[in-house]
Amino acid sequence: MVMEDDIRLEMATKPRLLGVVRAMVRSYLQSKGFSAETVDLAVLAVDEACANSIRHSYGSRTDCRMELRVRVTDAHVEFELIDDGMPLDWERCARRELAPPELSALRPGGLGVQLMYRVFDEVTFEPGGEHGNRTLMRLQRPPAGQTAHRAHDA
Amino acid sequence: MGLEIERKGADGACTLVVRGEVDLYSSPDLRSAITKAMPKFGGSVSVDLRGIPYMDSSGVATLVEGYRTAMERSTAFILLTPSQSVLKVLQLSRLDTVFTIRNEA
Repeated sequence: MVMEDDIRLEMATKPRLLGVVRAMVRSYLQSKGFSAETVDLAVLAVDEACANSIRHSYGSRTDCRMELRVRVTDAHVEFELIDDGMPLDWERCARRELAPPELSALRPGGLGVQLMYRVFDEVTFEPGGEHGNRTLMRLQRPPAGQTAHRAHDA
Repeated sequence: MGLEIERKGADGACTLVVRGEVDLYSSPDLRSAITKAMPKFGGSVSVDLRGIPYMDSSGVATLVEGYRTAMERSTAFILLTPSQSVLKVLQLSRLDTVFTIRNEA
């Protein structure tokens, strides 16, 4: 069964709009009964996905468009981010363990995708057809009458 | 939403008091402030993070850059009283034990 999107937000690839996206995602997840901590984490992870597309798919160009779709299934809330930019570096987008690094090995960057993996139950990156990328993020819904509270190991 | 960054203290031992959300849009402002505050050698730079309700990985990357520059210059780089939100993203990044963090009342 194909689920209809609850939300389709098309936006310019302007970093200053990320605050608008965060506010929308926060409000939506609160309406679905997620705990405050889970909402905070999911807002961060969706923000990271959008920032990842802006930086790496569009090379920080601000005159492009991308679309965030949000829908619910029986078990999950799904966020689907569709961009029309350059293919992402799949190796950089692979999941890896984050271990406390040696101070001398600290390097900025490359962290956002790993935060997405640590927050969502499922994250997939796929080519978006002839152009661009499709990033799908799934978050398990709280059981009816309960508030979902994620037990993170961090 | 832009960042407010107030610089306190003398050159060589200053504190940057940061207020607002740190994300891909605003993190260049924090990076610039840390770069300007960094002594050529020695001293200290403290970044007061209690007024930050949200920080993403670009903010973390900015702090990592500051830390690396400080190490190269034998400068102490201290995170002061990070908010719960900042602490959480540092923990998720496995960096909460890497930075020097001090909590002030």
